[in-house]
Amino acid sequence: MKKSFYVIGFLVLMAFDTLAQLSFKTAGMHALPLEMNTAWLARVFSQPWIYGAFVGYVGAFFTWMTLLKHAPIGPAFAASHLEIVSVLALSVWLFGETIGWPQIAGGLLIVAGIGCLAVSETDEDEATGAAALAHER
Amino acid sequence: MTPLVAVLWVLNVLVDSGGQLAFKAAAGDPLAGDGLARWRFMAARPWLWIGVACYVIEFLVWLAFLSLVPLSEGVLLGSINIVAIMIAGRILFREKLSRMRVAGILLVSVGVAVVGLPG
Repeated sequence: MKKSFYVIGFLVLMAFDTLAQLSFKTAGMHALPLEMNTAWLARVFSQPWIYGAFVGYVGAFFTWMTLLKHAPIGPAFAASHLEIVSVLALSVWLFGETIGWPQIAGGLLIVAGIGCLAVSETDEDEATGAAALAHER
Repeated sequence: MTPLVAVLWVLNVLVDSGGQLAFKAAAGDPLAGDGLARWRFMAARPWLWIGVACYVIEFLVWLAFLSLVPLSEGVLLGSINIVAIMIAGRILFREKLSRMRVAGILLVSVGVAVVGLPG
């Protein structure tokens, strides 16, 4: 599988996921107070933001199913979480959230962890490719 | 973290993991073929629909969770799903857990724990 397939695929996935998260937060805020009843559901679905979450979810679903055809679920799922970087930046900009040291330190650790998972995946791909090549010979 | 937020967080981990594993079972079927035939094949089997059902429940759980916590904190806490899915992938699909992947899982777990610290 070509590298560009993964790069473009994960960027599209990241864009859809970011749209979904921003829409979720906005829809959730507009539907407060949180109640486990139909009144809450009515408030949720009566405003446009929830449909942004729908678009993000459905778009991410089809992108994800295309990627999953070849990618192993563990590392692919990890890479799909790189949206945290874009969402963190946008939550400060759009919602005025303050990011303290726990968010910065935790976010860095999580991104480092995702990096490890991505590296392990690259190594795995190379090993599989080398084994296949040796087999062909 | 209030008890309600904690319950919604755990519920999200469970439903998300279940849904993702069902999707992997649907998408990874070697008999599925390609193109439209692949979608028809997947639609005729339960895994895709179990995944969709989990997605619907998760939609509401995640919405409720995010309405109670700041988005920046919520998405970081949601990263624990990475760890749950990796471990489940190892158990159910025999995906390898190399040293690098274990290091990744540990880093993500510590990161989520740091974000979850009070303060």
